[in-house]
Amino acid sequence: MEGAIAVGLGELAISARPESVLAAFGLGSCVALIAFDSTRKIGGLLHALLPMHRNGDRNPTKFVDTGMIEMLAQLSALGVRPKQLDWWIVGGAQMLTAPGLSDRFNIGAQNIAMAQAAVERHQLRLVGQDTGGYQGRTVRLFVADGSVVVRYVNGQQSVLPNPVGS
Amino acid sequence: MTAAILANKRLLATLQLMADAGIESAADGLSQMIGRRVIMTVPKVTTLPFCEVPARVGGAEVPVVGIYLACNGDLGGHIMLILQQEEALRLVDLLLDQPEGVAVEFDPLARSALAEAGNLAVSFFLNAIATVMGISSRPSPPAVIVDMAGAILDIMLVVAGEFGDEVLLLETMFRDADRHIKLLFWMLPDLLPLQDLVWGRG
Repeated sequence: MEGAIAVGLGELAISARPESVLAAFGLGSCVALIAFDSTRKIGGLLHALLPMHRNGDRNPTKFVDTGMIEMLAQLSALGVRPKQLDWWIVGGAQMLTAPGLSDRFNIGAQNIAMAQAAVERHQLRLVGQDTGGYQGRTVRLFVADGSVVVRYVNGQQSVLPNPVGS
Repeated sequence: MTAAILANKRLLATLQLMADAGIESAADGLSQMIGRRVIMTVPKVTTLPFCEVPARVGGAEVPVVGIYLACNGDLGGHIMLILQQEEALRLVDLLLDQPEGVAVEFDPLARSALAEAGNLAVSFFLNAIATVMGISSRPSPPAVIVDMAGAILDIMLVVAGEFGDEVLLLETMFRDADRHIKLLFWMLPDLLPLQDLVWGRG
């Protein structure tokens, strides 16, 4: 889709512009954490690669745990309170399933577990999730109305639950 | 630490030697397998930020076919052969010795043909490195994955991502001139064993 802001591996984007579309393309075992303030129309998307921060790594947004803290900090700098936010978790597939060659650590499952734990720890409101499985995904957040749309490689699309629209 | 490893000239030179020996042999193997001459670009050993890796195959959402093998032994790492989906189907036709256009989907037969091509290319690659440099490693069974490029590349990048924000990448393009098939060959060597290998062997 034209005009989408591509949030690459290990990146975080926040936008308050209604015309913005934040997108994480081709998520495999990576996980996207998406937040949206429906009253102020501010959205954020984190594209994390690994569950837990490693000592000495200077890029907090590569990891679910530190990325989430950074995301909350940036959102609160814009005056968003965590309680106002709706959250979605997308991704965390297991990409390697061949016999004798399964993903040693199943990073996808670890990413999902860490994302869910972070949502709980920060007492956030999880409204939708499309995670796990064996396929890659692209996810988009439309800042205009907070809709979250997931697309698979076969072109199949689904719109995740959204408390505003329901 | 990663930066120091990546900046090490001796290590990069060793890798380049391995790449040159291995890739030429892999091209020979593929040529024999499909009965046509496979040409290749000079293997490049480069470092780049991991977030830029998907762009090298045309973007994270592009549908591709990845043939993945892990290698274990003196030289550990991850190897991925990447094709655009239409070109992968053309390669399947070549491998199964059938006219172009017969393969239209990635059914078990097509996947197994591609797995075999990956297995052969990587075996030739590793065997040449073992012969020329005395560095011995074994490939894992191949996995064929049909999905978005970004999703497939996550398999390799999660490993590289633990060590820093840059990946060390060995890259070559194989090409069949007649059928317009381009096959990207990537290896991401494990950095720590590589370091031991270069220093340990003197």
